[in-house]
Amino acid sequence: MKRDHQEISGSGSKPAESSSIKGKLWEEDPDAGGMDDELLAVLGYKVRSSDMADVAQKLEMLEKVMGTAQEDGISQLGDTVHFNPSDLSGWVQNLLIEFNGPTTTPDPNFNDDSEYDLRAIPGVAAYPPVKSDPGLENTRKRAKTESSSSSSSTTNRPVVLIDSQETGVRLVHTLMACAEAVQQDNLKLADALVKHIGLLASSQTGAMRKVATYFAEALARRIYRIFPPDSLDPSYNDKLEMHFYETCPYLKFAHFTANQAILEAFSMANRVHVIDFGLKQGMQWPALMQALALRPGGPPAFRLTGIGPPQPDNTDALQQVGWKLAQLAERIGIEFEFRGFVANSLADLEPEMLDIRRPEIEVVAVNAVFELHPLLARPGGIEKVVSSIKAMKPKIVTVVEQEANHNGPVFLDRFTEALHYYSTLFDSLEGSGVAPASQDLAMSELYLGRQICNVVACEGMDRVERHEPLTQWRTRMETAGFSPVHLGSNAYKQASMLLALFASGDGYRVEENNGCLMLGWHTRPLIATSAWRLAGTESGSELTQELS
Amino acid sequence: MVQNHHCEGHETVGENKGKRPKFFINDHVDILIEILKRLDGRSLCVAASVCHLWCTIARNDSLWENLCFRHVSPPPSSVRSVVLALGGYKRLYTGYVRPVRSRLGRMRKASWARDEVQLSLSLFCVDYYERLGGSNSSRRLVGESSPLSLMFLCKPVNV
Repeated sequence: MKRDHQEISGSGSKPAESSSIKGKLWEEDPDAGGMDDELLAVLGYKVRSSDMADVAQKLEMLEKVMGTAQEDGISQLGDTVHFNPSDLSGWVQNLLIEFNGPTTTPDPNFNDDSEYDLRAIPGVAAYPPVKSDPGLENTRKRAKTESSSSSSSTTNRPVVLIDSQETGVRLVHTLMACAEAVQQDNLKLADALVKHIGLLASSQTGAMRKVATYFAEALARRIYRIFPPDSLDPSYNDKLEMHFYETCPYLKFAHFTANQAILEAFSMANRVHVIDFGLKQGMQWPALMQALALRPGGPPAFRLTGIGPPQPDNTDALQQVGWKLAQLAERIGIEFEFRGFVANSLADLEPEMLDIRRPEIEVVAVNAVFELHPLLARPGGIEKVVSSIKAMKPKIVTVVEQEANHNGPVFLDRFTEALHYYSTLFDSLEGSGVAPASQDLAMSELYLGRQICNVVACEGMDRVERHEPLTQWRTRMETAGFSPVHLGSNAYKQASMLLALFASGDGYRVEENNGCLMLGWHTRPLIATSAWRLAGTESGSELTQELS
Repeated sequence: MVQNHHCEGHETVGENKGKRPKFFINDHVDILIEILKRLDGRSLCVAASVCHLWCTIARNDSLWENLCFRHVSPPPSSVRSVVLALGGYKRLYTGYVRPVRSRLGRMRKASWARDEVQLSLSLFCVDYYERLGGSNSSRRLVGESSPLSLMFLCKPVNV
């Protein structure tokens, strides 16, 4: 939509007087090809067309929303306030003063702080117009006459088509700017930016849009201190996790690789005991039981201890799962015993409760799939649990964790990491071509969205999604007295085959990393499976290749 | 004029009316079984729709067992009881072995044939477990197809 130029009469529209602002514009955009908008240059404005385009697009949307007819650029409203349109920062500052009321200090310091903040972001990231846009947004939300008049003074700017990729880049940068503002406790700026993110996100599609929306919501919660209700309903989370299990291979990968390690550790045993730190729906165990049933030499007696959180409605979810597994065991001919333990936190467990039998009689395996990282929220939690594990004298401990560093001390670092991690995850969900029940996809995304909210918005004991990368878990386990067990080629084969079954099997990658297996999307590893034994004991598990 | 694959009861229209063919396959069920044993999955399903006798034979699980383990060395005998308990070879083949084989076709190595069957068996077991109890209300089983957690096996693949 081209707009006709209007002759701008002298009022208030002197050519760029705010050379200081311009100077900053120039500095910040060294790569954007220093082209002034030619049409505006004719009128004496030295403004970059890319910046103007952004502003102009927003204004157009504003006008549509407000229903003001501005086609011919004639303002219908008598009340005109003239600002110097080339001085965007100053103009927006004035708007902000008007519309944010007395709470905003109308001093130029605000201006400078914001600019400083944005410029602190490396690269081509920071544009003053980004800051100005929230001002525009505030105006459109309040629909005051002044806003339309100010927009009228800018309607004569030509509109340049916005490239959505460019918007995508700006979206990321705005997210980062907002996080940085939160980091520096500049909540006013953060608030303005968060609103802007919503707008930018709506111009995107697909994974980027969803990720941005979740992160924006989490940031908003952090800014306004509306923390999400404690994820108290475990059955709700279980249901979401089931959908996640169905739509993508991460959990299946975790189960299959852990099972393989456990199977190999159980190779010669006649009685086996698995302690599952997070039983949930028990989806991991049917496959292990089947493999045990078909073991050459016959199945061992299989005992499962499942640990889970208390249910709000006092139903015994653990027993129900145990019952189902018992039915399966009976069908396939395995001697089976089940016990459920309800615990608020794994740190509350005492090994004596679990009725561990002597290792000569019964071989123990401990399984923790995404269950260890929440313990990092409480001081001493993880140490207690690790020492409990040692007291159980397991032959093997299988640990599956997210391969990400979401537990650093600096909020901004965590935010950046999480943004990359969850963007990749959402990409993989998108790319998996899950056409069926889009409800499944939506639920999986909600499952991930809750994690995002926890990483970004919560602090202290509430922040339980404290993911740490494999290297840190390795150090932790080794200092606690465990040594690694290599997962072996069977696990690798199973994992590769499993992934190849998925429609977008090409995108997923299995990597071996010092005996641990990592599943990732393209080049980014996302989850890691590792296996451990007590240092000083024999492993005896490397020999068995015939088992499966 | 030997009508090997036509239903019995229809005389040949044309010259040799009234003359029964000398060899009619449905009289020799053992040979029929031997032939059907060597068919691939799709043909076996087609054969099942020929006539009642063929249908009965094709439903026999041992034919499907052959299909499942065709390219691998014979499995230990314990496998049979497990598979039968979990739903039978036909279900195993149509739900799991066939999709797994076709999907993995491009990365097939001969040595992985056994692992393919193993993987199919594991998934088959998960299938059975999910069909127990119906805990989640969102479960819907469409005929013979697998429950939702294994739906990825039923999706069409753009090869």
